[in-house]
Amino acid sequence: MSTIDTPHPPRIRSAPSPRLRREGRAEGRRRVAITGIGLVTPLGNDVAATWTALDAVKTGAAPITLFDASGFSTRIAAEVKDFDDGVITAPRKLVKFANRSHRFALAAAEEAMRDAGIAPTDDDATRWGCSVGTGMMGVDFADLSSVQRHCAPDGEIDPHKLLSDISASDPLAFCRSQSTAGVALLTRRFDIRGCATSVHTACASGGQAIGTALKLIRRGVVDRVLTGGFDSMISPVGLAGFCLLSAVSADNDTPDRASRPFDASRNGFVLGEGAGFLVLEEWEAARRRGAKIYAELAGDGNSLSSYRITDSPPDGDGPIQSMRAALADARATPADVDYINAHGTSTGMNDRSETSAIKAVFGDDAKRVLVSSTKSMMGHLIAAAGAVEVAICALAIDRGEVPVNANYREFDPDCDLNLVLERPRRQKVRMTLSNSFGFGGSNSCVVLRSADLVDDAR
Amino acid sequence: MSKVVITGSGAVCGAGRDPAQMLAAIVEGRSAIAPIESFDTTGWPVKNAAEIRDFNARSLVDDRKLHKLIRRTDMLGIYAGDRAAEAAGYGTHRDSLAEDAAHAFSDRTGIYVGSGGGAFENQYDFFPLMAQAHGDLAKFGGELPDTVNPMWLLRTLPNNVLCHVGIRNRLKGANACITNHSVGGTLAVIEATEALRNGEADRALAIGHDTPIEPQNVLYYHRCGLLSADTLRPFDARRDGSVFGEGAGALALETEDAARARGAPIVGEVLGGGYVSEGAGLLAIREDGDGVVRAIEAALADAQIDASGVGMIVAHGNGTSLSDASEAQALLRVFGNDCPPVTAFKWALGHLIAAAGIVETTIALAALRANTVPGIATFAKADAACAKLPVSQRARTPRSDVALVLCRGFAATDAALLVRALRA
Repeated sequence: MSTIDTPHPPRIRSAPSPRLRREGRAEGRRRVAITGIGLVTPLGNDVAATWTALDAVKTGAAPITLFDASGFSTRIAAEVKDFDDGVITAPRKLVKFANRSHRFALAAAEEAMRDAGIAPTDDDATRWGCSVGTGMMGVDFADLSSVQRHCAPDGEIDPHKLLSDISASDPLAFCRSQSTAGVALLTRRFDIRGCATSVHTACASGGQAIGTALKLIRRGVVDRVLTGGFDSMISPVGLAGFCLLSAVSADNDTPDRASRPFDASRNGFVLGEGAGFLVLEEWEAARRRGAKIYAELAGDGNSLSSYRITDSPPDGDGPIQSMRAALADARATPADVDYINAHGTSTGMNDRSETSAIKAVFGDDAKRVLVSSTKSMMGHLIAAAGAVEVAICALAIDRGEVPVNANYREFDPDCDLNLVLERPRRQKVRMTLSNSFGFGGSNSCVVLRSADLVDDAR
Repeated sequence: MSKVVITGSGAVCGAGRDPAQMLAAIVEGRSAIAPIESFDTTGWPVKNAAEIRDFNARSLVDDRKLHKLIRRTDMLGIYAGDRAAEAAGYGTHRDSLAEDAAHAFSDRTGIYVGSGGGAFENQYDFFPLMAQAHGDLAKFGGELPDTVNPMWLLRTLPNNVLCHVGIRNRLKGANACITNHSVGGTLAVIEATEALRNGEADRALAIGHDTPIEPQNVLYYHRCGLLSADTLRPFDARRDGSVFGEGAGALALETEDAARARGAPIVGEVLGGGYVSEGAGLLAIREDGDGVVRAIEAALADAQIDASGVGMIVAHGNGTSLSDASEAQALLRVFGNDCPPVTAFKWALGHLIAAAGIVETTIALAALRANTVPGIATFAKADAACAKLPVSQRARTPRSDVALVLCRGFAATDAALLVRALRA
C-alpha cells in the first residue's frame, strides 16, 4: 500500500511525555531471579520431600481422611499428610488467624524465605511485595456447620438467630474467612510493606499471581516479591462442588492411578491441596548478594478463552494465546523450550484442548519438547497448582531432571505429546513452560530460563 | 509508550445506575443510606445500608439463562462492565471489522476485575442438605446430587464477572481477577493500565463489584467495630463507623494510539497509580497513615506529576475513627498547607468494598467534567484529628482536571489512583 493512501488521519503529536523515561526503562528491562522455593504438597511437606517423591514417582492420592467421605461419589483425594503447625515459626497469636490453607501458605513461605536467605528489614520492607493466588473456600466447614445447626436447623437461614450464634460472632472465624486473610498473614509475618495483592482465577490463580509478581519487579515498584498460591478444598463443601460437576475421578478403588493425564482412559482430576511459594528478586540484586539462583522467571502470558465457563475449546484457542504471549514476553521461541509442565488435569476436555494448543504453538517442536503433568502424582492443587508447578519447573532446571507423567498406559490419539514416561529424564533443561487454565476461562503460562543462559548472554 | 485513556464507564449502586446519576445525588446532598430491606433488622445493632432498591435482575442483565449461573454481585459487575464496553464502542467497532481483524481485536482486549461478594450466603445453599443429613457426612455425600444445584461451584466462582463479561463481549486478552477486599477495583484499574503500557493488550475493561450487605457479614463487621449505628460521616467529629453499600463500577481503558486509530470516544486518562501494604495484619492499620502517604507518592511518581498538579482528592473516607484520622494525617503530610479540595463519596453510596475505588473514580471523572468538588452532606464539624483537612459540606471548584482517588482495604492495603478528565 502506498503511503499516500494512509487510512488513518494524521496523528496529533503531543509534547514529549516525561513518561519517556519509563520507556527507557522498558528497553533495559529488569530481569527477575527465583532465589527461594517453599512447598507443602500431597507428596511432602517441604521441597526436599516433595522432590524425592516426584523423583521416585510416588502418588499422593488416597482415600480421604480429613472427613467421612463415604457417601460421596468421589472418596479419594491427594491430602497433605502429617502436617505439623509446629513448623510455622510465626507467633501463635498470628496462626490463630489462619485456616488450613493459610497454614500451608505460612509454612511454604517460611521455607522459601529461609531458602532465599533474605528477609525484609526496616530499611527495605517497602521494596518488598507479596502476590498470592488465594483459594475460594473462605468459610471452614466447622464454622458453616455451627451456623447451620443454630440458625438453619430446618435448612432455611433465620437471620435473627445469627445474633446469638457463636461462630457468627467470632472475629477469628470472620478473619479466617476473608479472601485477604492469606496475604494479610504473610505481609504481617514478614513485614512486607510494598505492593500486596491477592488474585483468584480458579485453577490459574497461582500462575497469575507469579505473573503479577514478575511485573511488579519489572516496573520497578519493588525489588523482591514473596509470591505463590495456597488452597485446600478437601472439605465436604469443596469436594461436593467438584462431585456435582463430575469433574473429579471416581476411581475410588485405585486412587494411585486415578489421576492419569493424557491417558485415553482418563476420567477426571484428583483434588489436591497445599501451597507453593517463591522468592523473586531483581536479577542484579540477587547476583550482587551472591544468592543461589534457581532460574530466571523469564515470561508470563495470560489470556481468556471466553468460550464456556468450565472448558477450553477443543482447538486450544485461548491457551494458544497465553503460551504465545509468555514466549514472546520471555523473548524466546518454541525451539528454546525443553520442558512443559502441563496443566494436564486428567479430564477429557482439558487434556485434549491443551494438546491442541501445544501442537499449534510448538509445531514440529511438539515432537521434541518434553511434556508431563505432575498432577499425575500430586493431584490438582487448584489455586496453588500454578505456583507449585512453576516451583517444580525451577527445580527441574536447577537439578537437570524432568519429572514424569505418571500413570500413563493407554495412548489417546488426541493427546499425542512427547510425554515423559516411566522414569524422570535427567538432562540439561534450558527453558520451561508451566500452563494453568482455570474455570472461568483464564489461562496462564509462565516461562523460566536456566540461569547460566542468562549469564552467558550478558 | 502510549498514554492510557478512558473510553467509557459504567456504574450501579444505591445512588444510581450510572455515574451521572450518582453525581447528581451527591451534589443534591441525597444519600442512598436507608433502613435495610433485604432482611428484617428488628433487634439488630445495624439497621442501615445503601441498598440498590427496585433491584430487577432482568433490567440489569438481559439473559435469563445466565441469571441461574451467577449471583447478585456478578449481576452488578456484568451490568457495569457491559455499559463501559458499550460506551467505548467495542461491539460496534468489532462488527465493522473483517473476520481476522475482529479476532485480533478480541485477542488484544483484556479484562481486570476486582471481585467481592456473597462470601457467606454462597454456602447457605448447603443448609437444606446439612439439615437433612443431621451431621451425618455419609448421608450428606449420598444425598448431595439430589439436593444441591449441580452448578453450585460455578455460581460461586469469584471470577464469574471476568468470565461472563468476557464471553458476552468476546474479550480474550490479558486478564486478572483481584480478590483484595476494598482495593480490588482500584487494583484492577492499576494492573489494567500497566498491561496496556507494557503492550500486553490494546484495551482492557477494569471492573469492581461487591455486595457486602448480607446478614452474617454485617454482623461480623459490627462485632469488629467497623459499622456506624446510623450513618456515615467522613472526617466528622461524630463519625462512628462505616455503612455498607453494594454496587459495581467499570472503566474502559485503551492505549491512546489504539483509541485514536479506531476513533473511540476519549473521556479521560489514567495518569498513574500505586498500592502498598502496611504489613499490619488483616484488620489493623497504622495510626500515622504511612501506607496512604506511600501509595500517593507511588501514584504521583508513576504519573510523573507533582502534588501541586492534583485538582481534587476523593478520599477513602469510610467514616471509621482510625481510618479517617490516619488518612487525614497522610494527606496533610503529602500536600501540606497547599492541599487541594478533599471530598469523599461513601456518605452517599455507602461503602461498596471491592467496588468502592472504581465507582468513586467514575464519579470523580463526572465531577471533574462538571467542574465541581461536591460537598459532604453529613459533614458538620471537623474532628480534631482531621482539623486542617480541606473538607467541606459545600461544593468547591477543582484546581485542575486531575483527581486523586484513594482506597484502603483489609490486609492494611492502601491504593491511590490519578485520573484526568477531558472536558467536553
